Order: sequence, then structure tokens, then C-alpha cells
Amino acid sequence: MRLALAIGSLLILGVHGLVFYKQFFHDWERHQVSYFDQARGLAKTDAERNSVSGRSPRIEQFIVTSFGERRVDRCGTCHIAADDPRFEKYANPLKSHPYSAAMGDFQKNGKWERRHKFADFGCTICHDGQGRGLDPHYSHGEDHYWPDPLIGYTTQAGWRKEFLPKLKGKEYIEANCAQCHTEKEFAGAKWVERGRKLFFDTNCYGCHRVEGLSDGTLGPDLSESGHKFKLDYLWESVVDPRANSATSFMPKFKLSDDDVKALVIFLKSRRGKNFAEPDIQRFRDKLAQGAELVQTTVKPVDIVPAMAAKQGQELVDSRACLACHKLGEKDGAVAPDLTYEGLLKDEPWIYDHFKNPRASISDSIMPTFRFTDAEFKALTSYLAGLKSPPQLTSGEQTYKALCQRCHGEKGDGHGLIAVYLDPYPRDLTKAAFMNSKTEARLAGSIRNGVAGTSMPAWGKILDEQKAKEVLAYVQTTFVKEARRELKERKLPEKNPVAFSKESAARGEKTFVVRCGGCHGRKGDGKGPNSLDILPRPRNLRNSDFVASVSDKRLFDSILYGVQGTAMPPWIDYGMSQSEVGDLVNFIRSMNSKKQGNQYAKSN
Amino acid sequence: MSPAAQPAKLKPPSPPKRSLIGWARELPDMVWHSVFRNPLPSNDVERSATSFTNFFLHIHPVKVHRNTLRPTYTFGLGLMSFFLFVILVVTGILLMFYYVPSTEQAYDRMLDLRGSVAFGTLLRNMHRWSAHGMVALVFLHMCRVFFTGSYKKPREFNWVLGVVLMLLTFGMSFTGYLLPWDQLAFWAITVGAAIAGYAPFIGNDVRFLLLGDANVGQEALLRFYVLHVAVLPAILTLLIAIHFWRIRKDGGLSRPPEPESEAPPLQMSAAAGAPVAVSVKAVQLEPRKTYGLQGLVRGPLTKVGNIPDNSVFSWPHLLMAELFTFVVTLSVILVLSLFFNAPLEEPVNVMHPPNPAKAPWYFLGLQEMVSYSAFWGGVGIPTLFVIGLMLIPYMDRSPKGVGVWFSRDRLLANTAFLTFVVVNVILVIIGTLFRGPNWAFVTPW
Repeated sequence: MRLALAIGSLLILGVHGLVFYKQFFHDWERHQVSYFDQARGLAKTDAERNSVSGRSPRIEQFIVTSFGERRVDRCGTCHIAADDPRFEKYANPLKSHPYSAAMGDFQKNGKWERRHKFADFGCTICHDGQGRGLDPHYSHGEDHYWPDPLIGYTTQAGWRKEFLPKLKGKEYIEANCAQCHTEKEFAGAKWVERGRKLFFDTNCYGCHRVEGLSDGTLGPDLSESGHKFKLDYLWESVVDPRANSATSFMPKFKLSDDDVKALVIFLKSRRGKNFAEPDIQRFRDKLAQGAELVQTTVKPVDIVPAMAAKQGQELVDSRACLACHKLGEKDGAVAPDLTYEGLLKDEPWIYDHFKNPRASISDSIMPTFRFTDAEFKALTSYLAGLKSPPQLTSGEQTYKALCQRCHGEKGDGHGLIAVYLDPYPRDLTKAAFMNSKTEARLAGSIRNGVAGTSMPAWGKILDEQKAKEVLAYVQTTFVKEARRELKERKLPEKNPVAFSKESAARGEKTFVVRCGGCHGRKGDGKGPNSLDILPRPRNLRNSDFVASVSDKRLFDSILYGVQGTAMPPWIDYGMSQSEVGDLVNFIRSMNSKKQGNQYAKSN
Repeated sequence: MSPAAQPAKLKPPSPPKRSLIGWARELPDMVWHSVFRNPLPSNDVERSATSFTNFFLHIHPVKVHRNTLRPTYTFGLGLMSFFLFVILVVTGILLMFYYVPSTEQAYDRMLDLRGSVAFGTLLRNMHRWSAHGMVALVFLHMCRVFFTGSYKKPREFNWVLGVVLMLLTFGMSFTGYLLPWDQLAFWAITVGAAIAGYAPFIGNDVRFLLLGDANVGQEALLRFYVLHVAVLPAILTLLIAIHFWRIRKDGGLSRPPEPESEAPPLQMSAAAGAPVAVSVKAVQLEPRKTYGLQGLVRGPLTKVGNIPDNSVFSWPHLLMAELFTFVVTLSVILVLSLFFNAPLEEPVNVMHPPNPAKAPWYFLGLQEMVSYSAFWGGVGIPTLFVIGLMLIPYMDRSPKGVGVWFSRDRLLANTAFLTFVVVNVILVIIGTLFRGPNWAFVTPW
């Protein structure tokens, strides 16, 4: 017992000894002592000698209150020679901070004076890092919990190895210059400016919001990306969007390393609030949604009417349209094929679609880009001019050239871009569905398209014969069941219940009780069960689609169900003709709009 | 400072000297003897007197049963918990000098503690690891008490107090968890407070009362701070005192009944084979009669005298054991604090929860259960557990199996409790190590 006690007590003493040693013999004290010794040696004048004589190690700090929240920077405790020009050639930490005319430093009476005095600015405002720490591991931000390691100098252990060399370099610090120097073309922040240009040139702004610059809503808001994310994460998100979010549909842009670096520096400079903008200016920009800023950043192209189509083509190439769309050989694998756009749509449709992508395809994810009207017209005239039809000799060839990108190699609807389309492409392997519709209806869908969806009208490329060939190919390859004679169903040609407010109100009651579970209370196809169902329940607020569907077809779908989908035959649940009539009136009442079409109807 | 630390000399009292030098020479002795009435004890009477007259030693009985000192009986768990509490109070008070319970300053203060405050890192580490250690040891202490059947009559109420003390320990640790105001703290408390919100009817009000707001924020930080440094420690100190007091009043630590074969007591033949703590029958007190203090004393209590019992003097045996426990506890905490730094994660970012956001480890069993059922996991089952724990001594009324680890007489009770312990430990382990993003099952290797 006594021995154990003695050992225990010794241990306690030992630990205390260690702790005291650590407490009173800091690295920074050694640095300071070494500085004092060398400074004494270098001293030539009395003033220089006096400045170091009798000094003993102590914590040096700058408290900066002029810029945002209070900063306490104790960096000078180790970097004690930072402001001593005699230590220019010494190794860190006893190295003087370089003087640079480009940074605004100037010489006065043969001595350098700083434009950014340490006492006014501190250190972390430019360099990042953790100003309060005295241990390099923490103060340089090597600790992976610290959000802002020394920018461009310190990398953290958890960062992706292949990025590490790219994340070092003086240019990164420009992201912090831009906190105060927000003016465009500021010579000291060229990388930020380059990144800003790229942000618009590659159409990032179409999807992302950056306060005061853009208001895209498809992607995450990047207004505070510099505050929230570390360099490593930003770089990774630009070059490999799915690394952090498996469901991201951001395309992989083809960017050089320098372009990525510029974007990362630009994003790092977006810290939500910077020191230069007064609150009132921020509020003004917010009200204007940054529209002016976009126009001043992206120089609009002067469109010459005679050259419109050519200029449109240049815009398509230079503004990253093909990061999503397919055109010829280039394929962004997100959005529909534009190769034959002139045969599928006409000019008014394309122009309207640019102005408001959801005007004719109600669930399109295409952003509204901020092109000028003239630019939109140029783009339109270019796309409308794409009229050279493909040479297709067999049904198989046609399917592979035109259908496969959406409907998939196996015909199951899981095509390359299927996940970005709403409604989802039809699963052509569902024999129950395919065989319950007449051949004429299917051929009609191919040649006239399906209004309100991404299914275009192929009529100008595929004549009756070719459409039948594709259908035959689909039938044998995917459906794999022979068509049967369809039974004649008793359906009214026109809704027998006259449209009236009362009828629509009765229909709504029925709808909420019977249909809301899948189609949603609002009829937008997003009911609580909708996520478990594929194909998803139809969005009954898609006016173009609803308008394109006859009363007879609505009666058919409601009374007899849609085979191969989750839509049941309501006649089995005792729904009467007049109830269906009310429902149809309710659905129509939600979509009192123009006649829908996909343009480019055959002949 | 105890007399043991000083080479105390026993001098015969000498006649007072007149000279100043003589006075100065005698001064240390005068002061010493005025503070410590007793010399360093060398015989039984002095040993008794030392324990009896010293304020700090008075909490000990003059003599303790040998079983109490058997290391493998108690493993010193309760005492270690207490010493950890002492360490926590001392380090906590020192930390209070540097801490500001403000959302704007708290995190910066943590950085200062880590970076530039003398001994700041050590203080924080000691406080952190002692807090975790206390939660663990209090739980182990409860297990020890159960498996040795020590909660049985007459110690029922002390068990109940113990359960309350354990809950208070959780409360202390939980409230302290928020104070660093980093991501770990913020989201752990967010999760913890959400669990409280699952209580039926009053859940949201309790949560609001705790946080002072709809979310964890400045109000919550201030409330947790006040609870952590004032309210809970005061209650905890008081209850610890009562807990200790009851140990004395309930006849010392539990122990197995004396084997009959040992020398029978000389005088108290009626209570042959009785333990040292004998229940003295309460005398019918007559309202009109005047009683001395002894007349009011009712059992059970430790008889001191010439009964040939199994007890030894507290001085030095018990004191040495306590000192040893203290040294062990302090060394472990110091060594841990030297090698492992208390975590300090990112500054709070309300918009950016970590995935998964985890409660403190001792609540991860709860969080794991919450992932199956919010109400039952977060409120129902824990409440039943606590009520069940408190009722144990009143449900298990068999007097058998006291003072022995895993007594055969208590097979059912021990099995049931062991199951309870194992289930809890497994849940905590699953919650801590096997849960990844979105609370999905992951393997830690």
C-alpha cells in the first residue's frame, strides 16, 4: 500500500513537472529570445539597440475592431520580426513580412512604410488561420476543425491528397483581398475577377444564387460559400459535383486547373457579408436581385440580325449550354437533345421556352438565364435552323438515335437523362400498359409528342411508316408480348356533366378523398404515396398536358385505370359516370388555359 | 493539511517564557496545537479522539469494519466518484475565471484557454475527462451496490438518493456539454433537448423551459451555465452530504453477516452472531422525562467498545485507503489530461448540422432508442427505468444475499439487473461507434 501510494504520488508530481515545464518553456519564448539576441547583434544605431534592450518574452497581440467582429491576432508572438526589415532573409518564424509596392507599401525617408499596417489590420484578416492560438498546429489551422486554415499555405490532414498541391499558392489570398476591394477589375484580385467571369461564362449563375450577383434556385446558394466551405471542399465540388451529394445533377464542366482555381478563389471570396458593402447597399442589391450586376458582368453580345444564327451558335458554345444539352457529338447528359431542334419545335416555342422554361413544360428544370432579348432571339434562330434530319433506315436505328437517351437501352425508362425529366420517361417494358393502348395512340404520341412533357413531336423526322417501325421494334424488343384485341369500353365522347362551379366543387371533394393520396391534394402529382410509385402519378396541373387530353381519355383512365401503373380502375370501386364527370370538370377547372401542343405537328 | 504531514512532537507543556525569543520559538507549537487538538495518534484512545475531534475526519466512524476496506468489495467506486467531483469543483472554479456565457465570446474563450491561458489546456482536459469519468463511475458504483445487494434494508433510501445523484450527475455533465459553444456542444444539446421534447403534454414546455427559446441559443447558454455552476452543484453537494450521512446512520457499508463460529460476543449474548451494527431497540420515550443525547439515539449504529468484532480503527486504515483512492484517481485523470486533449470542434454554425448529430455518449443509448420510437425511446422507457431503479429496494424485500458479490440467493435479481446494464451498455456502444450519417449502421473499422 505504501509503495503504491509513493508511486502514485510520484506520478502526480511527475505530471505536474511536465505541465509546468510546458507552461514556462514555450516555443514562442525561444523564438523571441533568439530574435532579441540577433536584433542586438544587428543593431547599428542607439535607437535600434534601445528597442530590444531589456525586452523579455511576452505575448504580442493585435486587437482589430475595424473589420467585422473583433479579432485577436497573436501571430506576432512567434513572428516577432514581421515588421523588422532587417530580417528579410531569415527563415520563418523570424522572417520579416515582405514589403511590396503592389500592395501599396511605400518608402519614406529610405524606410518602408506599410499600406496595411499590422496594428490596423492584424494578420488573420488577410491570411486566415486562428489568431488566438500560440501553438502553430492550432494557430495555422492544421487542426481539421478549424474552418479557415492559413489560406494558400496550410492544408489540413483530411483534405483529398490529389488536390493538396493545387490548393497552395499566393493567389488564394486574393479571396481575402476581395473582402474590402470589391470593385471589379481591381488589380490585386485578378483571380477573383477571373472566377467571377467564369461564374457567368459557364452559366453557373443560372442554377446558383450568389447574393448581389445571381438568383438561380436549382443549385445550392453560394452567397456564403467562402465562409462555409474550405478550399478542399470547394475544389472537389467544382470538379466532382457528386462527391458530396450523390443526387447532384450539376454537370462536370470541362475546366482547366487554372479555371477551377479561379472559381474556387471566387467562391472563397463569397463570405456572405464583406467589409466594403454597407448594409444598405446589400439590401438594395437584394431588392434588385442582382440583375444589373449580371448585365454589367456578362458583356452582352451585340447581335447583328444578319448574323443572328451564327452568333447564336457561338453563344451556345461559349455559354456552356452543352454542359447539359446534347448537340451533335457533345453531350452534357442532363438535358434533352438539341440536334434536330428545328424539326421538333418552331421559333415561337423555343423563344417562349427561353423566356420561361416552365411555360410549356411545367416541370422543366431548365433555369431562366439572363440573356438579353436579342441574344435569346439569336439563340432561337440558331436552334430553329437545325433542320437536317438523321438518316434512319430501321426501327432499331431510330430507337437508338432518338429514343434511347431518355427511354434507356433496355427500354425501361431509365435512360441517360431520365432522372432529370419530370414526368419520368415511359417504361416501355410494361406490357400491360403498352398493350392496353391502341397502336394509333402510341404512334400519335411519337409523332405529335406528349404535350407538357419532354416527349417531343417527332412527326417531321418520322413519317407514319417509320413511327410504326419503331413501335414494332419496341414491341418485339421490350414489350415482348403480342398485342391483343382491345375490348371496346363504354365511354362518352364528351363529358356528359356540364361544366359548372358546383360540379367542379363536387369533383374536388371526390378528388381529395379518392385521388389525393397519390395525385396530392393540389393535384400536382406529389401526394404522400407518390414517392413509392413509378411511374409517378400524373401532375394534373400540367395545363398543356391536361388540355391535350380528350374527355374520353380522362374517362377511360379514371374508370378503367391505367394498366401497368398504380392507377386503379375506379369503376371497380363503384364510381359512377356522373362522379367521373365532376372529377373531369374539377381537373379542367384547375387548367383553364390555352390548347396545349408540342408544335411541329406532322404536316 | 493533516497532522500526518508534519513531524509532530509531543512535548510536555513547559512554563511560559517571558522573553520575546522564547515566545517566538513557541509560537509555531502554540498555533499547531490550537489547530490540532490531538497529537499524531499512537494508541487506540488517541486514534479514536483524532477521528472524533477533527472536523474533516469527523465524517468517518472511529472504527470501520474490515469488509469496508476490502478493495475487491467496493473497488472504491463511490469514493472515486466523489473525488472526481472534488476535482471537477476545483478545476471548474478555475475555469469560471476565464469563461463568459455569451454566444459571442464563449468559443473565443475556449481558444484562449487552449492557446494562451496558463495551464488552460490542462484545466479543460481535467475537467472534461473527470466529468466523463464521473458519469461512468457513478454508474459502475450503482452496479456495485446492486450486485452486492447493498440497497437492502436499512439502506433503501440511500439507494434512492444514489439514483437521484446519478441523474444529477447526468444533468451536470449535460449542462456543461453546451458551454464550449462549438459544433459538438451545440448539436449534442440540440439533440438532447429534442429528446426532452418528446414527453407527452409537457414535452414542449419542458424543452422551452430548458432552452428559454425555441432553439439552442444565447438564452439556453445562459441557463445551462447557471444550472451548471450554481444550481446543480449546490443540490449535488447537499445530496452527497446526505448520502454520506446516511451511510453512517445506516450502519456503515453493507457487509455479509458475521459467521457464527467466531468468538461470540461477551455481553450481548442475545444478539449472538449479530453484526457490529446492532439495532438497539428504541426505548419508549416518555414525554415528561428529560433525556440525554444518548437516550435519543436509535439504531442501527456502530457499537464501539470491547466487543470482539471485525473492525479496525479508521485512523490510519480507512484514511490510507481513501488517500490511496484519491492518489489513483488524480493520477489517472492527470495522465489522461496530459495525453488526450478535450475536443474543441468548429465554431457553432446553426445552418450546418454535422451528420450525424450525436448527443453526449451517455445519452447515445437514449438517442439509439429514439431512432426507433421518439416517445418510448426518449421518454417512456427512460422514465420507467428511473422509477424502476428507485423502487428496487422496496420491491426486493428479501434480506438475503447482502454484502456478497453475485450472491446465489439473488440469482434472479442479479440476472435481471445485469441484463439491464448490458442492454444499456450495448445501446451506448451502438450509438457511439456504429452509427454514421443519417443514423445508418456503420462499422467503425
